[in-house]
Amino acid sequence: MNRKEFLSDCGKIGFAGVTLSLFPWLQSCSEKAKQEVQGEKARIGIIGTGSRGCFHIKHLVQMPNVEVVALCDNYRPHLEDAAQYYPQAKLYDDYRCLLEQRDVEGVIIATPLYLHASMTLDALSAGKRVFCEKSMGYTLDECLDVYNKRKETNGVLFIGQQRLFDPKYIKAMSMIHEGKIGEVVGVRNYWYRNNNWRRDVPSPELERHINWRLYSEYSRGLMTELACHQLQNGSWALGMLPEKVMGSGSLVHWNKVDERDVYDCVTAIFTYPNGVNMTFESIISNKHFGMGEQILGTNGTIDLVTGMYYSDEPAPKGSGMHQLVAQIESGVMSNSVFAGTSWAAESSPLAPGMPIMPNVKVVTGESTVGAEADGSKELLEAFIHATITGRQPEKVLEESYYATQFALLADKAMHQNQILTLDEKYKIPYQPLK
Amino acid sequence: MAFEFEHSAKNPLHPVSYLKMLAMHSRLEIVWTGQQEISAQDLAQKIHESMLSMEREFNRFSEKSPLSVVNLKASREEVCIGEDLFMALELCEAFRRGTRGYFDVATSTSCGRDMVSYTLNPKSHSVRFTAAEVNLDLGGFAKGFALERLRTLFTEQGVERALMNFGSSSILALGSHPYGEWWAVGVDHTKQHGIVAHEVHLRDGAMSVSGRNYKGEYHIVNPHTGASVAGEDLILVEGRSALVCEVLSTALYAAPKSERGAILSQYEGYHAKQIACGECGSVEIHEIG
Repeated sequence: MNRKEFLSDCGKIGFAGVTLSLFPWLQSCSEKAKQEVQGEKARIGIIGTGSRGCFHIKHLVQMPNVEVVALCDNYRPHLEDAAQYYPQAKLYDDYRCLLEQRDVEGVIIATPLYLHASMTLDALSAGKRVFCEKSMGYTLDECLDVYNKRKETNGVLFIGQQRLFDPKYIKAMSMIHEGKIGEVVGVRNYWYRNNNWRRDVPSPELERHINWRLYSEYSRGLMTELACHQLQNGSWALGMLPEKVMGSGSLVHWNKVDERDVYDCVTAIFTYPNGVNMTFESIISNKHFGMGEQILGTNGTIDLVTGMYYSDEPAPKGSGMHQLVAQIESGVMSNSVFAGTSWAAESSPLAPGMPIMPNVKVVTGESTVGAEADGSKELLEAFIHATITGRQPEKVLEESYYATQFALLADKAMHQNQILTLDEKYKIPYQPLK
Repeated sequence: MAFEFEHSAKNPLHPVSYLKMLAMHSRLEIVWTGQQEISAQDLAQKIHESMLSMEREFNRFSEKSPLSVVNLKASREEVCIGEDLFMALELCEAFRRGTRGYFDVATSTSCGRDMVSYTLNPKSHSVRFTAAEVNLDLGGFAKGFALERLRTLFTEQGVERALMNFGSSSILALGSHPYGEWWAVGVDHTKQHGIVAHEVHLRDGAMSVSGRNYKGEYHIVNPHTGASVAGEDLILVEGRSALVCEVLSTALYAAPKSERGAILSQYEGYHAKQIACGECGSVEIHEIG
């Protein structure tokens, strides 16, 4: 089931209104919104055509209402790779020149983290609609500057937090806000990989240019490149922002192999005003546990990554057949364990978990570029819609803003070995979804 | 024989009905969608009546059932039987021949290999055993037979989506789950209860599983030897007809590995797997044929 079918189905069974009020940025994904921009094209420039930039290009080429008219990268091989998709596009090695191209309406920025804020500020100042990869900025101040600039220019700004557009996350958060898992009492996030996180470097002088993620001069490492995605889960589920943040980070393995200086092992705890903790843990020298994002409630647990619901209640009496009734009532499909060699009285097995919606697409988190069916394409489509209409969807930027701010704050807590709170000056007038 | 019936219209797109009843010493459960409560209640009643009718006909433990009468008298005389039982015995004989004798409803007899246990007379609609001590047991046949009868009943009523589970071992699907492209059925791991050993996707199809029963007993008999088959693995058969699946899973379980492929090859569109479940939850699956 794709998002369109999901929303359509939600509408038919009567909670489309609730869903859209909880997730107002999805308005731009409706059929009505699509009709609004039918026949129109957004003229897009792409700044940064490396692995993530090309990942976006592969989605853009599938979108009929997009014309990529400009490409920019200061690393020629990446620029030439991208130009193969759009031979008519003008090529630049300086993004400021691209911003001067008048027919460019929107820009997609997929550059190293330390460049996000300056490029976004320049693009907004140039009157461009902007999609910038996460994280929003390299520092807390940069994020605030970018947020304020968007406000000042009344422009369009999207940050690449694709979970906001992933159907299984939307369904899960709807269920959580409806109270299906009871009171939320914990949030767990983890991301384990076992790879060096490196890109091939053709020449030693390009090491930092290409492997910028590994150097604190350009990136905050695991917190800004991975945690940022997952930290929005707590605010999303709890309807509040963390009160304090603590953490510990270290280099335990990969510094023995190369010269990197960002942590390859981190653990952070975010405590909310009601005492609930959200954790984030990442190690990139062991992948056994993979990627996980779990919302723990007094009645059960939702695993956001797998789209599964696990009830804390005893399994209902009767066979899996009877559980089918509940699934159909809820508009979901699940495997039901009931076939065997013969009828086993009432000793039905414990339910192994129930998918929260049909045909859940699960990504492993192993890819260092991006995964299909994780909301990235839908996020991009929403940005294209906003580029054409000039309308900024509600709350999507604020969700992204806080995801980055708390990732940065946790990184700071690790480096300072302190428990930190978000300074009042960084708080924007926004209440998380409730 | 009563039945439980539930109906829910909580999801107005797919009103769902559930029926549960005991029949032929097994539990029959059916979930179907698309009917309003009154129609669904009416269908549930029809299912109940149909199962009662089959129970009356095929239950060898009921002294008054036609099958019991046949078991009692057919070795001495021709016994006239009704349409359903006659057709069932015709089918059973066809399946016996079509499975090299590894499916045989007359297994508890003194008949030798390849010997016909009974003859049917279409003119008089009667059956006669070919030897003394023949005893017919339709237990390995009736669930599939009943499911096929229910398929007809549901189709007549215009129901397009249903999942029927007869005794856990015989499953029939009409259409698909309303929120998927199929009905997903997990085959229970024999050593680690609650673990799915294999998942089957059914859409307008059926499946049957044979192996040791839930008490761990080797309850399937090799018709050629009269001995219980001590196979540890499960045999899973998938295909269009619930009846053929049930017959084939029993026959393939009883047959030696060397003959399984040849038996299965006679049934186009049917697929079989041998599922080996390990103590630690491991699973090995081998295609048959």
